[in-house]
Amino acid sequence: MNKINFYLLEYAYAYIKRNKNKNIFIVTVFTLLVALLSSVFFITTTVEHEMKERISYKPDIVVQAYKAGMQSSVDSALLDKLLEINGISSGHLRVEGTYDFRAKNRLFYLYGVAPFEDQEDPFIEQVLQNEALNSSQMLVSDSVKESMHQAYYDKYFNFIKPDGSLQKVFIKKSFPVHKRIELQNLILLDQDTLRKIFGYSENEGSDIALSVANKNELDFITSKIRLMLPNAKVVSKNDLNVMYEKLFDYDSGVFLSLFVIAIFTFFIIIYDKANGLSSEEKREIGILKAIGWRVEDVLHAKFYEAAIISFFSFFTGLLIAFVYVFIFKAPLLGEIFMHNTLLDIHTFNLDFYLELSYTLLIFLLSVPVYIAATLIPSWRVATLDADEVMR
Amino acid sequence: MIEIKNVSKIYDGNIVALQDINLRFKEGELIILKGVSGSGKSTILSLIAGLSKPTLGEITVDKKKISKLPDHFAASYRRDNIGIVFQKYNLIPTLSVTENVLLPLFPLNLPRELMKEKSSNVLQKFSIEHKANVIVKNLSGGEQQRVAIARANINDPKIILADEPTANLDEKLSLEFIEILRELKSKKRTIIIATHDPLFFDLDIVDRTVSIEHGKLL
Ligand SMILES: Nc1ncnc2c1ncn2[C@@H]1O[C@H](COP(=O)(O)OP(=O)(O)OP(=O)(O)O)[C@@H](O)[C@H]1O
Ligand SMILES: [Mg+2]
Repeated sequence: MNKINFYLLEYAYAYIKRNKNKNIFIVTVFTLLVALLSSVFFITTTVEHEMKERISYKPDIVVQAYKAGMQSSVDSALLDKLLEINGISSGHLRVEGTYDFRAKNRLFYLYGVAPFEDQEDPFIEQVLQNEALNSSQMLVSDSVKESMHQAYYDKYFNFIKPDGSLQKVFIKKSFPVHKRIELQNLILLDQDTLRKIFGYSENEGSDIALSVANKNELDFITSKIRLMLPNAKVVSKNDLNVMYEKLFDYDSGVFLSLFVIAIFTFFIIIYDKANGLSSEEKREIGILKAIGWRVEDVLHAKFYEAAIISFFSFFTGLLIAFVYVFIFKAPLLGEIFMHNTLLDIHTFNLDFYLELSYTLLIFLLSVPVYIAATLIPSWRVATLDADEVMR
Repeated sequence: MIEIKNVSKIYDGNIVALQDINLRFKEGELIILKGVSGSGKSTILSLIAGLSKPTLGEITVDKKKISKLPDHFAASYRRDNIGIVFQKYNLIPTLSVTENVLLPLFPLNLPRELMKEKSSNVLQKFSIEHKANVIVKNLSGGEQQRVAIARANINDPKIILADEPTANLDEKLSLEFIEILRELKSKKRTIIIATHDPLFFDLDIVDRTVSIEHGKLL
């Protein structure tokens, strides 16, 4: 079987065409199945991949203060205390948070920038390059600018402070977010101005970002801080990665779909087997044997037949999933599958990303199973005496 | 040479199709197996073709014990030595004449030119080359039988087995078939025909007529 026998291949193809209705049914179910499963895997693996990339831009450790179970501001004294811990290379007080823009029913994400401060996120670093912000200026994303424009704020915006007074900040420039669509609500402005908007005093911030010199020590240092500050919430990059991995690995949707593939595959197989081989199919195998085909020749042709159907269905299904997820950005299915993760599918780029292991899994669950399900009944018939054809 | 020695064939433990048959055919002979329906004619052909095994006894073809051949070798033996013309033709109705005729050779994976040569030779010999590319189900009964005979001869078999070859033919086509037999016999083929068509009974080319009744030789 090391050389393709084109006569048998043509025979197999003709055989498929002869049983057109049945095979169209099988190919359709098979293709849709692979398309559905591949789509789900494409969506979840790509979202997970993008999620991890976002996490990589975050600080190693973020410390948030809690009072009475509610997140509260942190004091710079705490930062000084944390910087004494061995292994922490640097840290800074961050002023950041969401701002509810009622007029457009939209949440802005305000991020305070201190002069001469390095940014963890290369995108923010790049936006700030050569843009010295004074205390009454801000940089906004194109999308934020558009929202403000719709509310007739073209040059400046009036933020309402906790005491009800207004803080006027001018729009210096807007920037495109390109691939970073999770940042489309971003507003960058002077840290001290933002303190006023949030009602913080001079040495307060919303949280503390820390860098760890040796990434292998990250978990150790994180737990050390937790022990030190039982009231604080301490989140490390590793925690976030684990959290998102769990989100998708144990996402019931993925398992449900695996279950669905199993059922459908078995449905095809059972359909094929329950029908067994029709008396016509049996007779044809008998004829082939009577004219000198060996059992292995019959199986060789049947192998081609099953391979044509399963490979064609598999790759068509894969192609459909590819187009559906990466070109059409997974309408409907994306929303359904992201629903219980509380992530918004529309904040992901869904750029082409392939995790081969899942594709391989779907392949192994479908193609060899189908080939086996085709070969076994044929083999049973082919090993019987062929004298029926004489009757 | 074909030798059938003390052969019995019992189906399903109680249907006795053949009972203690002893026969010996020489190379180049044309033999008629004669008997009513159910007498066991087709069963004898199956056994000679190695399509089934005798329950008792032994069948030897050219010193090879056909009745002992494992399935794998029985198929090769058929491919190299036997051509069968079935009662129901047993063609694949949706394949073309050429494809049907070449079907026995498909597993050999021969070069295209050789296949083409073989099919055009055999189609010519049995006067069906003008229908070479026609789908078999669109042929008349007589044409289908020519295709069946052509297929049985694609590998120049030494032995040709024909089961009721004239059952579906009118008199004119039956006489044509006899002409084909004459031609094959002149090429020293051993031909065994199972039939109850009286047309064969007093034929000059027939070397021997064997009568069977209820699975026994008369
Ligand atoms: N596979 C089988 N299983 C059970 N019984 C069988 C089988 N093949 C043949 N028989 C029986 O064996 C007997 C001989 O059958 P066979 O087909 O050889 O007869 P035949 O002479 O060819 O008849 P016909 O002229 O109708 O073709 C019959 O009684 C038939 O029913
Ligand atoms: Mg018969």
